[in-house]
Amino acid sequence: MSTYEALPLSVDRETASEIIHDRPPRRRKVGVLTPAYVASRAVTYVIMAVTILLTVYPLIWMVLGGFKSGSEFYANIWGLPSSLDFSNFVYSWNAGNLGQKFINSIVVTLGTMALVLPITSMAGYALAKIRFRGRRAIYVFILLGIMVPFGVIAIPVFTVIVDLGLLNTLVGLVLVYTANAIPLGVFLMYSFFESIPDELEEAAQVDGCSPFGAFFRIILPLARPGLATQVILTGTSVWNEYFMASLLIHQDSLQTLPLGLVIFTSRFGTNYPQLFAALTIVTLPMIILYLSAQKQFISGLAAGAVKG
Amino acid sequence: MTTQTFPSTPQVRKRRVMTLTRQRTMTGWLMALPAVVFASVFIFYPLARGAWVSLFRWDGLSADMTWVGLRNYVNVFNDPIYWDAIGHTFQYAIGVTVIKNVLALVLAVLLNRKLRGRGFFRVATFIPVIMSFVVVGILWSWIFNPTFGLLNGLLNAVGLESWIHGWLSDPSIALWSVISVDVWKWTGFHIVIILAGLQSIPEELDEAAALDGAGRFRIFWNITLPMLRPVLTFSILMSLVGAFVSNYDLVKVMTGGGPSHSTEVALTWIVNTTFSGLNVGKANAMSMILFLLVIAIGALQLRVMTRRNDISR
Repeated sequence: MSTYEALPLSVDRETASEIIHDRPPRRRKVGVLTPAYVASRAVTYVIMAVTILLTVYPLIWMVLGGFKSGSEFYANIWGLPSSLDFSNFVYSWNAGNLGQKFINSIVVTLGTMALVLPITSMAGYALAKIRFRGRRAIYVFILLGIMVPFGVIAIPVFTVIVDLGLLNTLVGLVLVYTANAIPLGVFLMYSFFESIPDELEEAAQVDGCSPFGAFFRIILPLARPGLATQVILTGTSVWNEYFMASLLIHQDSLQTLPLGLVIFTSRFGTNYPQLFAALTIVTLPMIILYLSAQKQFISGLAAGAVKG
Repeated sequence: MTTQTFPSTPQVRKRRVMTLTRQRTMTGWLMALPAVVFASVFIFYPLARGAWVSLFRWDGLSADMTWVGLRNYVNVFNDPIYWDAIGHTFQYAIGVTVIKNVLALVLAVLLNRKLRGRGFFRVATFIPVIMSFVVVGILWSWIFNPTFGLLNGLLNAVGLESWIHGWLSDPSIALWSVISVDVWKWTGFHIVIILAGLQSIPEELDEAAALDGAGRFRIFWNITLPMLRPVLTFSILMSLVGAFVSNYDLVKVMTGGGPSHSTEVALTWIVNTTFSGLNVGKANAMSMILFLLVIAIGALQLRVMTRRNDISR
């Protein structure tokens, strides 16, 4: 209020409100840069800078640590490495058998998506668009799955996987991840399909498409944004998953990256530069992927991370 | 599905309408079936199976299962570590939820204006969100390392030696150290959600209030916060759910539940009971109790989601 009163009377209504909210005026006017305004912006910039530093510096530190030699690591905690020596990366890659673990992680992630995407879009479509007996019951049933946090049933799921003879198989892991992604995925796809007008597929069916045909030819191409959200959501959570993997996989050659990293740490935990090199190797592809598609990542995760 | 052919002669048209309805029901069920099967086999069946196994003494491997009725539950109720772990789970969940959301709200409000570098800020603070808890946990164990770690190094450098702690080895603060890492990883995410909420508030509202003489604080309290309520509910709920059931990775990697169970959460203790204690019956009893404790939050989440799924986009 005081800001408002302090303004020169000649300032128009729009500019006044912009100043009160610290929105920089589109047409900058002299006399707008009051000391309070400048100070508030300065404070904001400082807070922004500190937050960015707090977030990014540990990561930079991690990458730089991978280049340091053992003694350099302790002597020079803060500084840049003396040389761009990739030997730690080579060592970690080989000692941790990271190539194999990359392949396992890729197989599990792609396998999960290959199941989750068709299953959730089919179910979401059927529940949103096909009027059939029992659809309400099915919808409620699947959605109730959201109420059952996966961590809580981890041990029972472990027992079921043992019963099915799928312990120590990547298939078991894929099935569990798929089930975990399904309730939320169906919900997302359902909301998506519901927003597509009925007339579209009615027209398709009048033209002789079966419900299946209408789904694959007309509706699915329209649902691409919903699918993209799911790819990001399922992809990131599966790629990063540790808990279930640590219960279901007890064989070196089948470990996914997070699991392999933990084992690597317990075995080579005292070789910090090599450990940091391993962390960097594992993290970098994900960060590059994120930076190249950050808009999709941010909106995708914001849309669906409901399940944590 | 049986394939049926429909000769389009007038005589069969009536039959055709009936079979079309049936065909539609078949199609609907077939398309939803895989999702139903997955939810049944890997969510609801395990839940039932867990409840059943919790009534037996079982090591998880042998065929030897002994019916013990509710004795596992009695054992759980008499297990002080489990209730400590439940207490830590709540402390973790509530701590993380409050800190993340307050921090994110403050930062989002600060950022809700045209600022140079705001895009960069969002991209940068979101990086930890996409990282694995395993990587984050290992990295921060290092930052917290008492002798070579970044944090104590920093405190030393700025002359705050008295603040130096064994961040993960001191039982009185270890859990808070772990909590702060969870906050570090997820705050960027909540900033994005809340910022999106702030930007959806029409500017005219603030402007009108300002013209009516409302100060900035009053505008925030009486206009911004109420308008933001759905988004905040969503954000708070998500951090609660996440913290209750996905704290395992971080705790496991950073402290393994120690020192002397000071960071033990329900999930780490359940896993410990299963694989070290080989007491699968009791572990399942613990899981069921945990499930009953968190189901209220799950129900709330489902309600908010289905009622206002518009916020989630």
